[in-house]
Amino acid sequence: MTRTPRTAAAAALAAVLALSAGCASKTDDGTGGSGKDGDKSTFTIGYSQANNAEPYRAQLNKQLRYFAKQHKNIKLLPIADAEQDNARQVSQVQQFIQQKVDVLIVSPNEPDPLTPAVEQACQAKIPVIILDRDVKTDCYDSFIGGDNYQIGKKAGEAAIKALPDGGNVAEIRGLLSTDPQKQRHKGFADALKGHDDIKVVEQREGKWLQPEGTKIMQQWLQRGTRIDLVYAHNDPMAIGAQSAAAGAGKAKDIDFIGIDGLAIPDGGIRAVQQGKMIATYLYPTGAEEAAETAAALAEGKSVQKKQTLDTTEITKSNAEDVYGRYDMSKKSG
Amino acid sequence: MTDTLPEQTQNGSPDVRTRARRLLPWLGSLQSYIGLVLIVAIGIATQGDTFLDQTNLTNAVGNFASRGILAVGVTLVILTAGIDLSVGSLLGFASMASAMMLANHDMPVWQIVPLCMLIGAAFGFVNGVGTSVLRIQSFVMTLAMLSIARGLDRQMSDNQSVGTTVAGPDGKLTENAEAFQSLGTPGHNVGVGFLGPDGVYYPVLAFVVVCVVFHLILSRTAFGRHIYAVGGNPTAARLSGINVTLVVIAVFTLSGMLAGFAGPIDAAYSVSADPQAGNTYELDAIAAAVIGGASLAGGKGTIIGTFVGALILTLLDNVLGLNAVSDNWQLVIKGLIVVVAVVLQRPGLLRTLRHRLTPAEKETAP
Repeated sequence: MTRTPRTAAAAALAAVLALSAGCASKTDDGTGGSGKDGDKSTFTIGYSQANNAEPYRAQLNKQLRYFAKQHKNIKLLPIADAEQDNARQVSQVQQFIQQKVDVLIVSPNEPDPLTPAVEQACQAKIPVIILDRDVKTDCYDSFIGGDNYQIGKKAGEAAIKALPDGGNVAEIRGLLSTDPQKQRHKGFADALKGHDDIKVVEQREGKWLQPEGTKIMQQWLQRGTRIDLVYAHNDPMAIGAQSAAAGAGKAKDIDFIGIDGLAIPDGGIRAVQQGKMIATYLYPTGAEEAAETAAALAEGKSVQKKQTLDTTEITKSNAEDVYGRYDMSKKSG
Repeated sequence: MTDTLPEQTQNGSPDVRTRARRLLPWLGSLQSYIGLVLIVAIGIATQGDTFLDQTNLTNAVGNFASRGILAVGVTLVILTAGIDLSVGSLLGFASMASAMMLANHDMPVWQIVPLCMLIGAAFGFVNGVGTSVLRIQSFVMTLAMLSIARGLDRQMSDNQSVGTTVAGPDGKLTENAEAFQSLGTPGHNVGVGFLGPDGVYYPVLAFVVVCVVFHLILSRTAFGRHIYAVGGNPTAARLSGINVTLVVIAVFTLSGMLAGFAGPIDAAYSVSADPQAGNTYELDAIAAAVIGGASLAGGKGTIIGTFVGALILTLLDNVLGLNAVSDNWQLVIKGLIVVVAVVLQRPGLLRTLRHRLTPAEKETAP
């Protein structure tokens, strides 16, 4: 009951912040717009990000800034952060439409709420790229995203390989309502079909969060469930579960598989190198492809409507290579 | 108008009824214990030794410890009829600060923890000044601080999580990173030897010590009495010579300091500081205080109550988890428990009880 007034006040505050953000981006539009009107050699790109405060998305932002700079004909406006708020993202997309950006990139927080805003952009004849998550319209010019189903399936195949004599698997799932969670779960389950000696004995919702992974793993171990392998829908949950098992002195008997494979010091690739996980699966950000597609669209070239990005299995043998390829810390953005 | 009736009858024969009357508020605070006893009973009934196992209880309390510490600070603020929504963000900021002090500056734990407390206290001080001197409602002031601290946290970390298992050039954990683990990384205890053969899990120890210290402050010191007085009736408090402004600034500063103290614990528990760490923790902290009997109207509540409230929340989560209750139903059940706990504490319920009890006492009295 304390929640309602808080939410209302939070909405009010968010509105104030959105207004001030709107003012700030208007000045950006002034400078960007004048350059745009002067000569059509540089095109402005607006990017609406679902939530900056996720390591995966922070990495995506960095990569997009970096790759956008590699294309001389485009200029990326400051990235708009929707802070996981659908209403906020709708208004940010509308602001980009108002600013008449030349190409709009959107990573929708959720498909349904963002669909009308994307349709508005299409009606305003602004080329639209949908990055990472889908929307419920196909008026956009290109969709770029990873294949979560394929990732889940590969993780399942790795589990089968890691458990040649069968065994018990525990699955820590992402936020149940999210699409990547559903696909990663389904892919994994489909891969295990026909392998009756491998059983998923436990599954819980870890909400993508590391401390949740720790807590859930502790409870499973407490229940006395025999677990041979833990499949977590992202690396933080896998690392969290691993630390719980390590704390209980059981980490050596259990294999951990994660997803994301971020090239950051705290990410999954490093965890694989440290032997905390047997494998993680790169969930590609698509930043490089998005920058390329934006540059092509700005020039009026036609692009591929659906670009599905392949994953890479990261094990100890290729971890260093993959880390070097996606490490953004030494590349100026 | 019926309210006055029991008063009058009680004046009639003092001994039994006065005793019953004295007992009732105490029983009232026991209502929250009923919830705890119930949850423990369910835990034992369904999981037996698995639930009662020391490791399990340590894990369960340890998981909630950082939020429990926040709840103590929030209780202080609630007692003055204020609210502190910023504690989750302050914990997040302190958690990130501690991880960065460790990872980027290789600082020892004994420097990190006090510094984080100082950082938290500084934020809390601003909350206090905003609330008392600038007369911004604490709801608004701390809601703004929730946003400010989170923004600074994200700016500082560049939205990247920072790991606390910092390895040296030899590939092994650095000395300071090794020590940092004892702040809450699962399986790392402190005081091995002099606090029992296995030592104790620091988050649990820290939570209990914080509760004891603040229970003593509230119950044994003039400052504690002033906090209740300010929450009960600020005008009366001012007229009786209490510096209300100072008390309000002090409770917000203490609340911030405790959030700063809890930050490194959260970082050690997660083996990393996430830019979103502590998100919505303020709601858990407020829930613990309210389930423990604190009234959002101020002047009513205890640290023991908050401690019990925190235990209820975390043991409930543990019992549901051990019984593999589906995640969707867990949410429903947790919400229902909060409602039941708050209804049990409604003063009207107490008054009704008193009405019912008084005639009954009259009949049994010789």
